[in-house]
Amino acid sequence: MRSRQSNVGQGADRWLARPGRPRTPKSRSSPPAFRFERVVRRYGRHIAVDHLDLEVQRGETVALLGPNGAGKSTTIALLLGLLHPQAGSVEVLGMSPRRAMAEGRVGAMLQGSGNGLPPGVRVSTALRLVHRLYGDRVPMELTIERSGIAPYLGRQTHRLSGGEAQRVRFAMAIAGDPELVFLDEPTAAMDFAARQSLWRTVAQLGQQGRTLVFATHHFDEAEHAGRVVVINHGRVVADGPGATLKAAVSTRRLRFVCDRPDDHVLDTLEGVTDVEVRGRGVTLVSLDADATVRDLVRRAVAFRDLEVTGARLEEAFVALTTKGSIRSAGSP
Amino acid sequence: MKGLIAFGRFELTRLLRSWRFLAVTVGFPVVFYMLFLNNHRSGALVDGMLPWREYLMVSMCSFGALVAALNAGGTRLSTERATGWARQLRVTPLPPWSYVGTKVTVSMLVVLPVLVLVEAVGAGFGQVRLAAGSWVALALLLWVGSVPFAVLGVFVGFVVNAETAYPVVTVLMFVLGYFGGLFTPVRNMPGALQTTARILPSFHHASLGLALLAGQGLSAQHWLVLAGYAVVLGMVLVWRHRQEELRGVA
Repeated sequence: MRSRQSNVGQGADRWLARPGRPRTPKSRSSPPAFRFERVVRRYGRHIAVDHLDLEVQRGETVALLGPNGAGKSTTIALLLGLLHPQAGSVEVLGMSPRRAMAEGRVGAMLQGSGNGLPPGVRVSTALRLVHRLYGDRVPMELTIERSGIAPYLGRQTHRLSGGEAQRVRFAMAIAGDPELVFLDEPTAAMDFAARQSLWRTVAQLGQQGRTLVFATHHFDEAEHAGRVVVINHGRVVADGPGATLKAAVSTRRLRFVCDRPDDHVLDTLEGVTDVEVRGRGVTLVSLDADATVRDLVRRAVAFRDLEVTGARLEEAFVALTTKGSIRSAGSP
Repeated sequence: MKGLIAFGRFELTRLLRSWRFLAVTVGFPVVFYMLFLNNHRSGALVDGMLPWREYLMVSMCSFGALVAALNAGGTRLSTERATGWARQLRVTPLPPWSYVGTKVTVSMLVVLPVLVLVEAVGAGFGQVRLAAGSWVALALLLWVGSVPFAVLGVFVGFVVNAETAYPVVTVLMFVLGYFGGLFTPVRNMPGALQTTARILPSFHHASLGLALLAGQGLSAQHWLVLAGYAVVLGMVLVWRHRQEELRGVA
């Protein structure tokens, strides 16, 4: 019996092993994009944010991933100064969230019941106002291009569909070309093309050194982030690089019976990151189950009773986010 | 500061482009003026001191100011709070207090032309003849006295939700109008109602103008009551705004 683990496998474990700890060391030269220290926020008896610690450096693109009611929106509201913490401290760009907002260094797209736009005006009028509030730092054309809202500019705000209004709200979030952009479930009502365009702009802004933080409950949206922070019950339950998450998502476990397992062959199978042999029972962990199976056939491994099961991490994620406990994600 | 001016202009333009606001604000005082004009075309004195036609014009000025302020603030404000626009504005560099401040200011800005309009109706159809200075003085006096109406409008927009704002504003308009003695002189009302009138800002607002035209000068009592309304409502508004800040706008 032997076992080998690749970097990816270790990464996947580390992803779950270090909840709530900042991934990057504190920089001394400039303050982080934001810092949460032991932040508590309750609504009556319900605790929405529970002693949350989180630090994000400038230039990071971070996904706050978690189910509905996990505390993502409350976290963002605290970062925007819309809410005050009942305990702990929130610092944005080294100052209070309110001050960072007043200085025009932060932009945000909120979630809400309405369309978030002023009634009775054209989209262009509303967008021009937001540009002026930020002191006309960038030409409106740039915002229009980045958000792809050119077709709706002449439309009255109340005549927009949910997805269209959302794109306009995104335009408002980036209208001041802020250093720090918060997006709360930015794609909820958007169609495929709109999502694509939004994520393209998010990537562009990230490349230009902006800090972007978005909340989502979609596992696959988190891949647009360099770092994924899983939040549930108001706490950080997992924190790690986005690439690890992506790899972890595609991870499959293959189990089969083989009369004479050859370690060397199993080790070098395509996509395999971990091999475990117990007598005649073989368990492989693979990043690409299809490729591994094809390779098994090509290299004439005599396998039978093949069973492919889902990603460990995804199972772990679901367990984490529904039970709120950190489960061991070690090797079986 | 530039942002604040931009926001003020945006708000004013948006208000003046709303046909519903314009129809109600211009329509109500003018139509009511015309109706009352036909009912009471007499030379009788009101309170034994002022011709009926002058009482009517001052009353309609007060009613116009009330209608303009309540509609500029109340209904519209609660609607945009419901759509989330008010919240979106709070995630821009616009200072938080300036939202309420701008709303009150814009309400005041639309009250002045309404007062001038009612005066024009008075001069054109109401047979009111005043010295040039009195026209100006009356408009300015009633305009300054409209601050509590402007604050009340914004206050209603803050405390009432979008569905009930419209009926609440309508009821307030007519309750303050009727019981404040703007439709019929307070002296003509039963005793209990006369007492009620004296606690309403609409009564004191109109009284400012009536006293001016009757040559009684400025009455401290009316100013005190109006200032009291403005301060108390303003304080509740600020408190309410702060509560929301602490609790967070849902």
